[in-house]
Order: sequence, then C-alpha cells, then structure tokens
Amino acid sequence: MEGTNYLTVAYLGMIAALAIWTWTVVVRSRSIETRLEAVESSIGIDVSQADVIATQSTDGTQDDSTV
Amino acid sequence: MRRRIPEVFLGIGFIGIMSTLFLGLNWAPSVSIDAFESPAAQRIFYWHVPSAWAAFIAFGVLFVGSALWFFKRSPFGWRLHVAGTEAGLACGLMTVWSGCVWGAAEWGTPWDWTDVRLNTFGLLTLLALFLVLGRQSQPDGVETRDTFSTFGLYGFVLVPFTYIATRIWQIRHPGPVIGAGDDGGSLQSSMALVLLIGALSFTIFIIGHMMISMRITHLEQRLEHAQKRLDGGN
Repeated sequence: MEGTNYLTVAYLGMIAALAIWTWTVVVRSRSIETRLEAVESSIGIDVSQADVIATQSTDGTQDDSTV
Repeated sequence: MRRRIPEVFLGIGFIGIMSTLFLGLNWAPSVSIDAFESPAAQRIFYWHVPSAWAAFIAFGVLFVGSALWFFKRSPFGWRLHVAGTEAGLACGLMTVWSGCVWGAAEWGTPWDWTDVRLNTFGLLTLLALFLVLGRQSQPDGVETRDTFSTFGLYGFVLVPFTYIATRIWQIRHPGPVIGAGDDGGSLQSSMALVLLIGALSFTIFIIGHMMISMRITHLEQRLEHAQKRLDGGN
C-alpha cells in the first residue's frame, strides 16, 4: 500500500505540472491574441509580413545570388 | 471555432491521460511480485512509455522544422522548430522524472550513469533545454536560427540511437516489451490496451501543445512587427 501511495504522489505531481504548463500556454496565447488584435487593427498590417527575419533572410539570399 | 482546435486537442488529450492513469492504477493487472522489487511502482510505466513516445514525436517535429528553416528558410519550419523544442523538453522531463521515480523504487537508485538509454535520452532532454533557454536569451535573427537549427538537425541522431540502445546494450533499462521480436512481446492484452490509450492520449495532447506553441510564435512575430511599425521602422 505504501508503494501505491508513493506512486500516487508522483503521478499527482506530474499531472499538476502538466495542468499548470497547459494553463499557462493557453492564457499566454489568448493574452497575446487580444493585444495583437488591438495593435494591428489600429495600424493595418498584413499577416503575411509577420516573420520579418524570414523575409529578410529570403531577401538576403536573393541579393547574394545576384552578386 | 477553427482557432480553438488546439484547445480541443489539449482537452481531449488531458482527459485521455487522466483516464489512462485511472485505468493504470485501478484496472490493469499487477505484475508478478517475484519478478519485481517494487511491483506497485511498475504502474508508472503507463505514464513513462507514452511520454517517451510523445517526446520522440516532438523531437521528430524539431528535426523537420530545423531542416525546413535551414534549407528552405521557411517561417513555418521555424515555428515547428520552436514547438518541437518546447514539447520535447516537457515530454523529456516527464519521461526522465517518471523513470527516476521507478528507478528509485525498483533499482534503489534514480539514475545509472552506465546505462546507455538513460544517458542518451537524458542528453536529448538537455539538448531541448539548451534550445529553449538559448532561444529565450538570444536576440532573434538569421544566425541565431541557423545555429539552433543545426543543433536540432544533428541532435536528432540521438533519437534512433536511444531507440536501439536497449536492443544492443541492455545494462539496466528494461528491454522492449512491444515489437520485441517474433513472440509478440510480453504484455498482457489489458496492459497493452491501457498503454495504447496512454500513447494515443499523449499524442493528441502533444499535438495540441505544438499547435498552440506555433500559434504563440506566430502571434509574437506579428506583435514584434506591429511594434516596429508603431516605433517608425519598416
């Protein structure tokens, strides 16, 4: 019985960690979504331009190939 | 409704994981007392194996994402890389932790530095930790992404190495119980069923997590771009 109790405590710890991680991620996603909607609607940005690093990297590759 | 698909995956996966634990603790039969030092602790197997399975899925996603970024400069690939590292770290830690709990009860020690599988899996988890912490501490840029993608590509070598480790060097970690050979493995059907429910639940759960992680990365990129526009940049 002692072994089962030990196991239950270990399981509960992992379930709590999973639940906290999931909750944090969902709340963070919703919070950023709300902030972003407010900012983007005020300045009118195209979603396809979101990853500036990738865009710059692709442009750089094209520039390199023309040299 | 489509935007809430990751949350639906997370919910279904979490309920499945809870059901697996309930079935594993209350329904699945106990193992032979003669064969184990601590038969009760063996039930952590229903958490340990599915979380290791989910970790391998996450490391696979990390590899694909790293390759897509490194060779194609794909923004989608970078988001896959980020999602794979975070999911790989979480599942890796769950696997290592549950393994340590079992090892402490069964072997009398939580870790064995001479066992190949324990150490290669530990290295994989440390790689995911390095990638998560490194990405958070470095400014985002092409060089940073290239460096981390390279680690993601080469680090994946540890996945097949970890998988075959107990087939080549069985030191302390138990050998394979499913797909072990011609005898069909040593699991009873009820144990295999609980394990299957666990593997499915963890798979759905980790897919939900990776979807939501990809969404967060995309939202953060959009927010950064919007802030630059507000500050007068491009």
